[in-house]
Amino acid sequence: MSAAESATAIQRNQVDLLDFIDWSGVECLNQSSSHSLSNALKQGYREDEGLNLESDADEQLLIYIPFTRVIKLHSIVVTGSEEDGPKMVKLFTNREHMGFSNVSDFPPSDTAILSPDNLKGKPLVLKYVKFQNVRSLTIFIEDNQSGSEITKVQKIALYGSTVETTDMKGLKKIEDHNH
Amino acid sequence: MVLEATMICVDNSEWMRNGDYSPSRFQVQADAVSLVCGAKTQSNPENTVGILTMAGKGVRVLATPTSDLGKILSCMHGLEMGGEMNLAAGILIAQLALKHRQNKNQQQRIIVFAGSPIKHEKKALEIIGKKLKKNSVALDIVDFGEEEDGKPEKLEALLASVNNNDASHIVHVPPSQNALSDVLISTPVFTGDGEGGSGFAATTAAAAAGGVSDFDFGVDPNIDPELALALRVSMEEERARQEAAAKKAAEEASSQEKGEDAQPQSDSQNATSTATEKVSDPMDEDDLLKEALALSMNIPGSDSSAGDAQMSEASNDDQELALALQMSMQDGSKESSAPSDVSKVLGDQSFMSSIISSLPGVDPNDPNVKNLLASLPGQSESQQKKDEDEKPKDEK
Repeated sequence: MSAAESATAIQRNQVDLLDFIDWSGVECLNQSSSHSLSNALKQGYREDEGLNLESDADEQLLIYIPFTRVIKLHSIVVTGSEEDGPKMVKLFTNREHMGFSNVSDFPPSDTAILSPDNLKGKPLVLKYVKFQNVRSLTIFIEDNQSGSEITKVQKIALYGSTVETTDMKGLKKIEDHNH
Repeated sequence: MVLEATMICVDNSEWMRNGDYSPSRFQVQADAVSLVCGAKTQSNPENTVGILTMAGKGVRVLATPTSDLGKILSCMHGLEMGGEMNLAAGILIAQLALKHRQNKNQQQRIIVFAGSPIKHEKKALEIIGKKLKKNSVALDIVDFGEEEDGKPEKLEALLASVNNNDASHIVHVPPSQNALSDVLISTPVFTGDGEGGSGFAATTAAAAAGGVSDFDFGVDPNIDPELALALRVSMEEERARQEAAAKKAAEEASSQEKGEDAQPQSDSQNATSTATEKVSDPMDEDDLLKEALALSMNIPGSDSSAGDAQMSEASNDDQELALALQMSMQDGSKESSAPSDVSKVLGDQSFMSSIISSLPGVDPNDPNVKNLLASLPGQSESQQKKDEDEKPKDEK
């Protein structure tokens, strides 16, 4: 089901995963050339209110983010305006080179409908168990709040932790905690 | 040099039988297709190209994107004309073929040859264009053949809806004497936004049109000065090499006429080759001295027929030798220099053994002499030559 906006969001050890993004492989389909993904992802650009990621031919966006190491994704922050900000967001893990035609081919790891609170910056907590072993993340923005032709995203931030390859005990602990 | 997967949509409808482009619309289209394929595969070896036909019974994919140029070109053979072109279906199926390309890192591009009237509405084409843009597929349109009201506008609208940062292009080609491919060469369809394709374009322009090319080797010195320079240097080297080879051949031909005995003939060939070897080496004083020595050996006479053969060859070829010497003096600077000219001469066993055998008081069969000769460079084959030399001596 959709991710619960839990007030007991676990914040410990969650870092901004900006440093672990593999920028050479980042792709975004249907983005406007003047308003590209960097405006929403990169440090500095994403804080600038004037710089948005905008869609081009229609309101959907498909964002592919590979990481330099395996991470666990805990929550994401997606901000935008109330009218043009994204509404339905689907997340897929470890699927490369997805296209708009095969977004419905397999179930997303998580789905969320963004509320106005989310659009202001409230983190969207994800089903942590589904994001334990993430090498790449695909964000499919299906529509926007008002149904307009262009979706505008102001900021996308990812929070989580890296997988310590030797720390098997640590991995087990966290999983137990969630159960 | 963009890494690209391209699908070419060929129009094989009835309208292609028309001869307003000579020899026929279909033929010029085929030529253009083969040129585009060549350009794409040359600009980047990992590029792939595929072909589909839009008319006939239905849209048919002849080749999925592959880098095998031969396979693509063979697809164009034996294509039959007929039916009506289905532009929308052709483009959509081309997009599907590109979606399933093996290397997902390749950019997607569709090249459409639109030669017949377009039965789709502008709106429908715009929707298709948007779909292509959404999936970041670039589109090149070649508008030729049948001229119909509204066709250019429809195609322009399609281009506008696809175009993202000028990645897509359209070319309108009216009927004329020039071949379709010649016109295309100068367009962005070939030049790929002006970058890597222009070198290939210049070469094909020179080859195909047989026309004036400003660049010597089909390579623009402005774009690729190192390549142009390398080509020029290698041309000069090849010319010099060929001159030397021609000289050699001329001398060998003339010496073969004169040398009649079997044994001496082989020796004479050796001798001639050594003579020309000496000639082709950059001449310095040591070599000239050896030459003089060889010539002078002829006068006292030797008891070695091999020596005789060699010396007689030398004397007979005297004039040619002198001429060759002169020529090689001029070319001397261009030739690659031999490691050590003197040692090379010493290593020429046929020459050496003939000299030694002609020297009074030196017996080539003496083990000391043999050892000495063995210590000289180029021994293994020279032993053979020495034995050869000794046989005729013994016969004599």
